Amino acid sequence: MASTRALQWGLCIVLCMTAISCGGGGGGAGSGSSSGGVGGSSSSSSSGGSSSSSSGGVTTGNVANVTVDQGPTNNSVNTLFTMVTVCAPGSTTNCQTIDHIQVDTGSYGLRVLAPILTAAMRSALPVETLTSGKTVAECTQFVDGFAWGPIVTADVQIAGETAKSVPIQSIGDSRYSSVPSDCSSSGGTAENTVASFGANGILGIGPFEIDQPACATSAIAACYYACTTATSCTSSAVPTEMLVANPVTRFATDNNGTIIVLPSAPGPALTVSGSLIFGIDTQANNQSGTQTVLTVDQQAELLITYNGQTLANSFIDSGSNGIFFTDSTISKCTSTLTDFYCPANTLTLGLSIEGVNGTMVNNLTFEVGNAQTMLNANPTFNVFPQLAGTNPNTGSFDYGLAFFYGKRVAVAVEGEVTSAGTGPYIAF
Amino acid sequence: MPLFRSDEFKSFVLAAAVLIAALSPRMASATLGEPEITVQNDVDRAHASIKSSQDRTGYRVHEITLPSGTSMREFVAPSGMVFAVTWRGPIRPDLRQALGQYFEPFVSAPRAKFADRRHLQIQQGDLIVQMSGHMRALFGRAYLSSAIPSGVNVGDLH
Repeated sequence: MASTRALQWGLCIVLCMTAISCGGGGGGAGSGSSSGGVGGSSSSSSSGGSSSSSSGGVTTGNVANVTVDQGPTNNSVNTLFTMVTVCAPGSTTNCQTIDHIQVDTGSYGLRVLAPILTAAMRSALPVETLTSGKTVAECTQFVDGFAWGPIVTADVQIAGETAKSVPIQSIGDSRYSSVPSDCSSSGGTAENTVASFGANGILGIGPFEIDQPACATSAIAACYYACTTATSCTSSAVPTEMLVANPVTRFATDNNGTIIVLPSAPGPALTVSGSLIFGIDTQANNQSGTQTVLTVDQQAELLITYNGQTLANSFIDSGSNGIFFTDSTISKCTSTLTDFYCPANTLTLGLSIEGVNGTMVNNLTFEVGNAQTMLNANPTFNVFPQLAGTNPNTGSFDYGLAFFYGKRVAVAVEGEVTSAGTGPYIAF
Repeated sequence: MPLFRSDEFKSFVLAAAVLIAALSPRMASATLGEPEITVQNDVDRAHASIKSSQDRTGYRVHEITLPSGTSMREFVAPSGMVFAVTWRGPIRPDLRQALGQYFEPFVSAPRAKFADRRHLQIQQGDLIVQMSGHMRALFGRAYLSSAIPSGVNVGDLH
């Protein structure tokens, strides 16, 4: 019941915000740049100014709407998006609201694709500066590539919550156009444009506060950088408080974790929408209840037992678009989907999940469908709960967004105490 | 079949490896498709240390710990060629170095459908690169499929 109400609230918030940003357009506050919002939901951002700020109270509360849709590149599957507002530090009017920010429990911190920001907004977000006078940039490591850009400070608003002066990354920032060679040598795709990133940004809300603690103590290639000029950066240690941080941990309230609530998706669907609730046991709508708490390790990993094997590098992750595990008995797809499974018939398989606290959830089931058939039959759909693929790490089961469909999944931040346990944990 | 027939020779090689590691703390990664001797080449650049060298049935493994905490393993065939490189940790190793001539084919290879920042599989001729994981815990391996010694299972390359 509470979750239904939360969902309605979330929906209302987004509808209201959409109405304002598309219809309002004005507000004016010194932006002068045009709004990209006319075309609807794709890669638009409302213009700078106050169009989406807390006028009328529409962004109050601790619930943000989240949606699985086609994304700004029109080809996303099982990718969860929300809307985030960034403001110049200390300002509640010099702000820009950005849609299609991916909600990712498998990373830490807010990263925005700089081309989405207006020129005025970009210059209003100060680049972090070390005591040496050098500015700070990061080579963010994702599994399939890297994202390069300076670290800027912003006040971050999501729903009615605000994190003041939080370090965020400005990815693909034209001022920092020269990617250091030891960053690009880390390999994979440069994800420095909306097209290559597949989102207008990413909101990392995993169960830790900062992204790369090891890079606070020593200069490590392909991590943090100090820049004498915007195009001359070398790897450098950067103080912990200047590293990109999960903005939830910097909210004034409701800052001990998050809860993602999504409706069930029994099969492929065009879209689903749900709620991202901030805080655990801090409001009436985020009480722990009888959820099972599974503590995770320092890599946010836990144990999943599948097919008689206990896989110690397993994780539950809203940022994975499939269910990735090793099973040589399941047929793989051919042609463009070679790392996905294509069994002749949909398979129902079992697994159990164990936290590092020893708590187990047994006898869960999941389904593996034929990726090619599902895609062919539903070319415009974005929700594929049975999409699964191979995992080269035979000691890992990556249970992606499909895990979240039909559940209420809490992620508690390290060291935070809730009525159900102490973070870092995942509970459902 | 053992990698080296004589136990004596094996001991000698192991001793030499340990000696080289001791004398040269800057020694590190070898390069895919090149001789094991390249293990010595760029230890300089990586500022790494050899954690262990181990003979297994049909191949040898060097494990190297990088300053980021990432562990990298190099798999050497009886011919002396590095046929696979794997890594696990918060930051990927210098793949331009580790993959050598295969780096450009790797980064320029077309991406499969449904990229999601959590998995990647590239096949370019003989080269196969597979990656998985998430922020702070990246896993990957690159190997030359035709160079895998007989009897060695790809699943053992981790």
